[in-house]
Amino acid sequence: MDTCRLSKRGETVIKNSIKTDKKGFSLTVLQKRLLSVSLAIAFIFCVIAGRFFYLQVVSGSRLVLRAEDQWNREIPVIAARGAITDRNGKVLAGNRNTYSVFVRPAAVEDKLFTATALAAALRLDAKELHAKISVSGVSEVTVAKHAEGENVQKLAGLQLDGVYFARDNTRVYTYGEALCQVLGFTSTDGTGISGLEKYYNTLLAGENGEVLYGTDIIGVEREDAAVVYSPAQDGSSVSLTIDAEIQLAVEEAARSVYASSQAKAVSCIVLDPQNFDILALVNYPSYDLNDVPRDDAEQLNSLSRNRMVVDIYEPGSTFKVVTAAANLQEYVNGNPSAYSPERVFNSSRTRTVDGTRIKCWSDHKNGKHANQTLAQALNNSCNPCFTDIALSLGKEKFYEYLSAFGFGSATGIDFSGEAVGMLLPQSVVRNCDLARIGFGQTVAVTGLQLACAVAAAVNGGNYYLPHLVKAITSPEGGTEKIMPVLKTKVIGERASQMLAEMLEGVVTEGSGKKAYIEGYRVGGKTGTAQKYEDGKIAAGKYVSSFVGFFPADKPRYLALVTVDEPQGAYYGSVVAAPVAKEIFEDIIAIKNIQPYI
Amino acid sequence: MKTLTVFSKGGRRAEARGDIPLLACVCLMVCFGCLMVYSASCYVGKVQYGDAFFFVKKQILGAVAGGAVMVFFCFFPYRRLYKFRYAAVIISVVLLLLVFVPGVGVTNYGATRWIGFGPLTIQPSEVAKYSFALFAAAYFAKNYKKVATVRGVLPVLGVGVLFCVLVILEPNMSITMCIGILMLAIVFLSGTNLKTFAFLLIPCVLVVPVLIIAEPYRLKRLSAFLDPWSSPQGEGYQLIQSLYALGNGGLFGTGLFNSTQKYRFLPFAESDFILSVMGEELGFIGLLFFFAACAFIVWRGLRIARRCGDRFGYLLAAGFTLVYGIQVVVNALVVSGTIPPTGLPLPLVSSGNTSLIITMASMGVLFNISRSEGVEKPVVTGFVNNKNLRPV
Repeated sequence: MDTCRLSKRGETVIKNSIKTDKKGFSLTVLQKRLLSVSLAIAFIFCVIAGRFFYLQVVSGSRLVLRAEDQWNREIPVIAARGAITDRNGKVLAGNRNTYSVFVRPAAVEDKLFTATALAAALRLDAKELHAKISVSGVSEVTVAKHAEGENVQKLAGLQLDGVYFARDNTRVYTYGEALCQVLGFTSTDGTGISGLEKYYNTLLAGENGEVLYGTDIIGVEREDAAVVYSPAQDGSSVSLTIDAEIQLAVEEAARSVYASSQAKAVSCIVLDPQNFDILALVNYPSYDLNDVPRDDAEQLNSLSRNRMVVDIYEPGSTFKVVTAAANLQEYVNGNPSAYSPERVFNSSRTRTVDGTRIKCWSDHKNGKHANQTLAQALNNSCNPCFTDIALSLGKEKFYEYLSAFGFGSATGIDFSGEAVGMLLPQSVVRNCDLARIGFGQTVAVTGLQLACAVAAAVNGGNYYLPHLVKAITSPEGGTEKIMPVLKTKVIGERASQMLAEMLEGVVTEGSGKKAYIEGYRVGGKTGTAQKYEDGKIAAGKYVSSFVGFFPADKPRYLALVTVDEPQGAYYGSVVAAPVAKEIFEDIIAIKNIQPYI
Repeated sequence: MKTLTVFSKGGRRAEARGDIPLLACVCLMVCFGCLMVYSASCYVGKVQYGDAFFFVKKQILGAVAGGAVMVFFCFFPYRRLYKFRYAAVIISVVLLLLVFVPGVGVTNYGATRWIGFGPLTIQPSEVAKYSFALFAAAYFAKNYKKVATVRGVLPVLGVGVLFCVLVILEPNMSITMCIGILMLAIVFLSGTNLKTFAFLLIPCVLVVPVLIIAEPYRLKRLSAFLDPWSSPQGEGYQLIQSLYALGNGGLFGTGLFNSTQKYRFLPFAESDFILSVMGEELGFIGLLFFFAACAFIVWRGLRIARRCGDRFGYLLAAGFTLVYGIQVVVNALVVSGTIPPTGLPLPLVSSGNTSLIITMASMGVLFNISRSEGVEKPVVTGFVNNKNLRPV
């Protein structure tokens, strides 16, 4: 009995028969089983295809994003840090092309040869270097930073496998110590960490780029892989208001007074009263920006303080300029409490306020400080007269002026860490405090605050925003100029002119005589302040200062000199005024300013 | 009803032409394998052995040897293999035991899976899979009447479990799994009743978690599989690298030889994880073609089994086909992170000569079975050479 037939296609088809073989199984069962297995396999293949579709097509890009990290190694392309120049374009801080040298140990075949070659070119210890690049499990070793370009060029010529170079820029400061606290310095990796380098870091730094190399798992560069180069965006350069020539002259003057007076410190600021451009700013002692004493943090911290801006002191008599300015403006305004220029002050040496006695520094004997007008009081720097003015104007009026002149608030200079000074809040100030503030005690200011206040008092009454940066030039060449910003009008033209004339008198015939320059109209005011330590007057410790300006009729240069703890002579008139004179003489020479006829 | 005879159209000829498309597909796949092994291993070969062709040379050698063996089995009447059923089991057991003999067994990556004779290393577990398929086919062909009972399948079960135990001791979880699945599949195909099959299936399913818990490294791999990103540098590393390769391939791939992952990111890129490199270079589309080719081989193999006139040929063809198919499936599942990573080559493609030669040999046997289709007239007969079995 033939139970099978031939199919059309000639395949053998076993019909469901084979009943004969009763002890065994029919082939139908076998066929069904085979079919089930085939279906199962087909199903599994579909599942697998679906899974691969999900992985490759659906989540492919997500996986690639995660994987890219391991496929590439990057060599940084350091952006050239922007230069810092003075107002005339002289470079104060620039870069020298130097290089970081990296080694990828895995890519180095002859480690000894490479170590020897590197050591010879970079003046390193070959043995140490060999050990360093022989460590396994390290993908990258930095062999040197700030290596000189010529050495690196020699190395590059050797074409060593696994050795890479990246420009890393070494900051070079043209004048070393000059302006060091203002410019500040960078960390070894080129980030500004103090001074303007820090304040303008984002502008100066630019954006680093990178070169991406495809590598294998241990960092060996792949020959076939594309190199992706994303260029660095160089930093902007910054031009300061500083005039390098004046700066150097002031540095020299500060250095010499520091030596001659054996002072603890000397600070000088020169600014242009017409727009508050800071032309020179010196704090001495200083340090070399090209050789920053990074190892001694305490010393570095002390040397790198821009004391003129971040430290405060009791100004003493230089503050009388502000009191006089307030009085003159009130006089011009017709305020009867104000002293007219002709009015004569009480000649007594002392004033008693709130039960405390306030004395003049002079003994008032033998006709000294007798029958003074305001001009004479300024000449003599007579304390009681300014006590009279402060009390006469009264707390409200006087504080209006103090706040207009910027005391008790920051000037807003483009420098980090500016101090605001100490001014008793108007609500708590007593008459005896007000009496002392009149001649510069019971108040603490920064040198910058005082210089700005005096500049505003004598320039016609305009208080500008002091600033150090004059312009910012992008790497593409576009320049953004920083225009002077008038903050407030502190006093009027007339009061200012009267004050300037009185201060000119201080230099021609008063305590500021040592700043007098024949043929030039120099005005100024001396100051000698006692220093306080732990709330008490420190015996024999003074801050001698002088604030001067010229020409008195239209001031272009204002200098504040403070000498901290001079030994021997300590009067501002003796210690600080000659420094201002020296500075002004230098400026006259540098700028070739003609004397008036 | 005495003898059942089946004729095919070609049955009148002395011999059928045989399944040429299968053979052609196998040859193409082996050539493709050499290409992929070269692509996946050229970098590793250059770096580790100073020769970009290091692995592909071995692979070509294996392909030539495998080709010779395949040709041999194409013409070697498969029925004669019946005689070797015990020999195959004994040889396999001896080889599997030799793995544990110090000095002969070769340990790599924490497992002793190879035996070495001088420069030659072979992986006995590869041989064992086929030995088992041969033994099971022979046994069921002879004892087809007993298959319905549990006792009837016991000898097959015994040999299967013995192999599994020996392989798992190496340890080699993946081939154990393959043998286990193969065992179940052959018992199923033998025509046993479903109750007996269920009786086998349940303990096998239960033993998997036990084996996983027994070896700490398997548990680690399992957890790595569940969340590979939790240990990207540890247990999850290999899987993540495989997924990266597949993801990088996307739909169309990065192009032949353009794999990034082969730069030593992906371990075993030329062997167990060659599918990842293929996925990366050829993309999802490429893999679809490849899976289609694999499915084609499986389809032709099962077709040969279906058309075969006798039980031994039927079971042998199905068994050998399943050995191939199961490996492809398990490998693809591992590479795609669908099941925990185990070391199993992709047959005919992965570098590794034992697997290549023996898989090609099995394809030769399949071809021989296909040649005999229709020549063998009595289908129901258990075995032609055994006259006692011939139904009257």
